Amino acid sequence: MKLGAGRSEFFINFIAILITLSIAFVAVIVLIFLLSSQPIDTIYYFFIGPFTNRYYLGNMLNTSIPLIFTGLGIAIAFKSSVFNLGGEGQVYAAALVTTVICLALPTANGYFGGTLALAGAALTGSFLAGLSGYFRMKWGTDELISSYLLSASIIMVVNYFITGPLNDPTNNLLATKLIGSQYFLLKIMPPSKLDIGIFIAIATAVVAFFFMYHTHAGYEMRMCGLNREFSRYGGIDTARYLILPMLISGLLHGLAGGFIVLGTYHKAIKEFSFGMGWNGIAVALIARNNPLAVIPAAFFFAYLDAGAKAAMLHSDVTFEIAAIVQAIIYYLVTAKVIYRFIRYRKRVINA
Amino acid sequence: MREITKYYVESGVLANDRVSLEVKDNEIHALIGENGAGKSTLMKILYGLERADSGKILFRGKQVSITSPRDANALGIGMVQQHFRLIPQYTVTENVILGIEPTKRRILLDKGRARREVSAIAKKFSLNIDCSAPVGDLSVGQMQIVEIMKLLYRKASFLILDEPTSVLTRQEIDNLFGILKSFKKQGKTIVLITHKLDEVSEISERVTVLRHGKRVAVRDTSDTNPSELSRLMIGREVALHVERPELARGKPVYRLESITLREKGRNVPLLDRVTIEVHQHEIVGVAGVSGNGLSELEDVASGLRKVTEGHIFHNEEEITNLTSIELREMGLAYVPADRLFRGSSLQSSVTENMIICNHHYFIKRGILNGKKISQFVRELTEKYSIMGEPDVPIGTLSGGNIQKVILARELSSDTDFIIFAEPTWGLDVSSSEFVYRKIIELRSEGAGILLISSNLDEVMALSDTIVVMYKGRVVMYSENKPSLTKELIGEYMLGLRDDFREVQSVKDSRGVQS
Repeated sequence: MKLGAGRSEFFINFIAILITLSIAFVAVIVLIFLLSSQPIDTIYYFFIGPFTNRYYLGNMLNTSIPLIFTGLGIAIAFKSSVFNLGGEGQVYAAALVTTVICLALPTANGYFGGTLALAGAALTGSFLAGLSGYFRMKWGTDELISSYLLSASIIMVVNYFITGPLNDPTNNLLATKLIGSQYFLLKIMPPSKLDIGIFIAIATAVVAFFFMYHTHAGYEMRMCGLNREFSRYGGIDTARYLILPMLISGLLHGLAGGFIVLGTYHKAIKEFSFGMGWNGIAVALIARNNPLAVIPAAFFFAYLDAGAKAAMLHSDVTFEIAAIVQAIIYYLVTAKVIYRFIRYRKRVINA
Repeated sequence: MREITKYYVESGVLANDRVSLEVKDNEIHALIGENGAGKSTLMKILYGLERADSGKILFRGKQVSITSPRDANALGIGMVQQHFRLIPQYTVTENVILGIEPTKRRILLDKGRARREVSAIAKKFSLNIDCSAPVGDLSVGQMQIVEIMKLLYRKASFLILDEPTSVLTRQEIDNLFGILKSFKKQGKTIVLITHKLDEVSEISERVTVLRHGKRVAVRDTSDTNPSELSRLMIGREVALHVERPELARGKPVYRLESITLREKGRNVPLLDRVTIEVHQHEIVGVAGVSGNGLSELEDVASGLRKVTEGHIFHNEEEITNLTSIELREMGLAYVPADRLFRGSSLQSSVTENMIICNHHYFIKRGILNGKKISQFVRELTEKYSIMGEPDVPIGTLSGGNIQKVILARELSSDTDFIIFAEPTWGLDVSSSEFVYRKIIELRSEGAGILLISSNLDEVMALSDTIVVMYKGRVVMYSENKPSLTKELIGEYMLGLRDDFREVQSVKDSRGVQS
């Protein structure tokens, strides 16, 4: 059995994404030729750089961990036609909660405390996103707006805690104290920052895929996402599926926040998670909201990031080049232009 | 318009078959016909919203090509469509000028001029309307007038109104007709699409009748009468014959008892004390012209809309206002009229569409049993000879095959009562026959069937009992017998007859016999 779109659909998606990414690469090359005085070197570092040593490669994969989580969070919400634009705030708040739990238990067992901290992160994200889902169910407020506004204000609150009561005065960073070292996730590719979080992220994507396509709740959620009237007619509790996808989406965003603290930063730094929420949307769009496709999509995003960093270190371009390329991809993917074009072509050929 | 032909490839419907229409200058011309007779399509072609496959349009003696509403506007042709296209937050003036706003120096909106011009129109045609009020605060009748003002502002001299009275109260209709008559005095030409015969004689001078996409008659209104028009609209012959074995009906399975449905802001109820009873081995066919409560009856009977008053029973158990979830758990089977939106999820696969109401059977500890599902789907696709792979989106299937998927799904569980709404609308002949065979089969097996359809042929060919709805009321309720002619039913459908009591006694006497 196969639920979801058929093989041809998958093929079209794949080709469309390939074209999108090729355009992005061409854009990078053109930009480099325009901006760099030694373009060949720059291109080499941009494209090959991330693979030249363990350090770069590991860091690149490490960057993808939170992106897989946030990408999954967005993909599941979008599949259910609910919109969680509060990812930024959810990641950030969850990161703070993780730090606070770890700091509150300085001597606890690492596994126990770590699990507790991640649970706290997941709950924080779920709660924030779930609120918007609840408001939507209860009063019909647009969850897209409410989640965004809630996130924007929660960021201020988190900033206050990091720079105020929880600030580490011994450090001149705007950050909290370091969490106990028993909480640090195991590094798997030293000297890079890559930790075992990557396996958990990938496993989560697999679980999310299974959930969406092979479980009762996943099926009902997708049906509600595609056609709410049809779902109501078929006897599905459609109100439940306004809030459940938000809870799951928030949970995944929360985990993103938890893993960057336990795995990478070991403390909460002011605005350190910025961009992870928004980039999750881009990752989900590239993956066409397919949980498994989120993994390569997140790798790709991390690759662009790593490429730009490598090119910046070894050559004369600035890091913004990555931002420009990301913007191009954003446009291409959201416009769905290429996707439609191929679909149209296919129909014409078949007809 | 000469010999206009329009074929909708997607649905396979021949909407206009070499239809000609002549409208004289400065007349009020009524265009009548049943639902789906092709009235709106013909007018949409004239207004440039649709393109004809063949035929030509002559306007004031010259052949014209109208490919968009802009072309139509340039010729002075304007159309008010059935569904209003107004922005509720904007004032009357703002709505009227939208799209061709008067400007100062080509950039700034000239509000003063807009106000002056729009109130001048209101004054000229003595339209009683507050031009500075937001449209959202107006009554439906006044919104209709705003739509007409939009045409006047665009200097239209040839007005097309698509069923303008369907949402209006009697007073509002009188007011509208007064306005239309004054337009005529000022030299304007009006085409009125309608299926209400009293309006034809009230306002029009000539009338063109369409049936099944063909023009069947043109008359001067003074030379004809409502029963002739009714006959022309509906036709004399029942065009459909379905083999229906004699069966004695069994015990009652489903009953709507004095159902009333009201909507906020509407004085007239959408359904008015409707009582219908369905027995085992019985097909109850509900006929009516659209806008007379058929779709509301469908929503209420299927539990998707809550009733205001009244009770619904299933096997003597009250099921009034249960949620669709509860009704599904009880085994409700329902083939909806809106099969592309309510009846299926077009982007989802055939499989996913087939298990929407019965996926509960395939779940073990929250996980879907893929093997069982594909076996189930394979069996149904074979049984119903559905052309389409289980994993393609259902939207890629033909209309007939989509309907087969819906039937397969709805009839897959044992059920003693099924609602069919417009089951063959837009289907080709062979798919329709398939649907009819299925309905008859279910009846033989002992199910009670509520058939809601604006296709009178279908209702007459299938039903054991025929119910006619007009303006939300049951105006006829009778056993289907030879003396019940199409003409007679047509007169009830079009509101020419309203002697419910007499017919009710027919039903009662039968009730005694059985």
